[in-house]
Amino acid sequence: MPLLKRVYDWIDLRIGAREVVKQELTGYLLPRNINEWYSLGSVLLVIFALQVVTGMLLLVYYVPDADKAFKSVSYIMNELPYGWLIRLCHAVGSNMMVAVLFLHMLSTLFMGSYKSPRELNWLTGFTIFALVQAISLTGYLLPWSQLSFWATTVATNSASAIPVIGPYMVEFLRGGKLVGPPTLGRFFALHVAVIPAVIVALIGLHLFVLKRTGISTPPFGAKGEAKTWPGDVYRHESHPGGIPFLPNYALTDLSSISIYFALFLAVVFFAPNLLFTADSFVPANAFKTPAHIKPEWYFLANYQTLKIFPSELLGISIQAAAGTFLALLPFIDRSRERDPFRRPIFLACVIAGILLWFGLTIWGHYS
Amino acid sequence: MENESRRKFLGVCAAGAAVVAAGGVAYPVFRYLAPKAGETGTEKVVFAETDVPEGEAKFFQYAGSSAVVVRTKAGQLIALSAVCTHLGCIVQWEKDQQDFLCPCHAGRYTPDGTVISGPPPKPLAKLPVAVAEGKITVG
Repeated sequence: MPLLKRVYDWIDLRIGAREVVKQELTGYLLPRNINEWYSLGSVLLVIFALQVVTGMLLLVYYVPDADKAFKSVSYIMNELPYGWLIRLCHAVGSNMMVAVLFLHMLSTLFMGSYKSPRELNWLTGFTIFALVQAISLTGYLLPWSQLSFWATTVATNSASAIPVIGPYMVEFLRGGKLVGPPTLGRFFALHVAVIPAVIVALIGLHLFVLKRTGISTPPFGAKGEAKTWPGDVYRHESHPGGIPFLPNYALTDLSSISIYFALFLAVVFFAPNLLFTADSFVPANAFKTPAHIKPEWYFLANYQTLKIFPSELLGISIQAAAGTFLALLPFIDRSRERDPFRRPIFLACVIAGILLWFGLTIWGHYS
Repeated sequence: MENESRRKFLGVCAAGAAVVAAGGVAYPVFRYLAPKAGETGTEKVVFAETDVPEGEAKFFQYAGSSAVVVRTKAGQLIALSAVCTHLGCIVQWEKDQQDFLCPCHAGRYTPDGTVISGPPPKPLAKLPVAVAEGKITVG
């Protein structure tokens, strides 16, 4: 321990580490009524880091070539020591990331944390959410199995309903009229280089905005801290008398991360095939469409929406309108009240929206 | 005092758990990245005697590395590692000169692997070779 202290002293002398720790960790005060839902952001950071690490490890053996991709994934799964573990962590982790992002956004929505002055937090978060779906979609194709090939065909085909430019957009995305070897190259580049870089930049921006604006006060629990921002000058929302991030809230973060890992590892070890169907273990065949092929679970509601409307254009327009409404929600919903229990219409709309999404997802799964 | 020793004990336990967890993560990653044991190539390489005419050489993969069989003009058959002993480049057979040249730093070897000139510190490693029923077996 004295050695560690000496190393710390040495660093502190040069960069003022203690001052940074005091300012950003032990002296970073959070609202006294902060709850566990606020730790989902930290959970997401851990998930993203794990995705990056496992993705890098997969890159060591994965071959982004239509003739070799499936074989390389089979080799990772069956031949390499612990290859199955790394691949499953990556595959399960991507689904978990979408699920936890859903929860993070729902908690933000529920507690009204998207409201002014946090419009930028919401917008950056919403964009990250869209990009996480994009990175999942592009990664889904890479194993080049029947499931990934045809699920990508179905998922990319939806965009062709956009008038005039839709068919060209789909062709551009696929690198040809149908999903094929050029699609693999494009999706690989997007999955390992382009989208992760943009996500990292946006996470940085999201955290920067969070630090500059200050963390929001939950609308319930112990009261007396929330202040109304008049909107005239920049003001950082500080929480004097609040609880320090380190060690108090860091422990809550650690608890949430541990709960997440328990769930995540339970799937990895006890239900490894939860996300795989028989078509996941057959190499892609462009001439043989398997029966009942569907996109990933988080696209099922969108997929079903397209199916229930008589015109695909109508289906895609409604989805675009709903997406735009959600993205611009902080600019539309300008009331000051954030307590969901004092906003019955809002609460009813949120619950109805969640139920609708679940309903469409289940319907899409069984249709 | 009691609180302090309890805190220290808990700290040691937490650190121990962290070390175990780190080991649990590091071991699979190490095994995943480590070259697979026994993946050093075939033990024996067999090819037809006619593949190596007099004064010529045949390069091939052997035990996960590069090797060469050369038949001298005197008819002697020699099998060697083709890896230059200087910095590990692969030597080339100079048919006209009847010797091996390492193109990286101009090391030269005789057909039996002895250093003629240049920086190689050691001769090329010799490999066991046998000829039977028109077949050359290395290894």
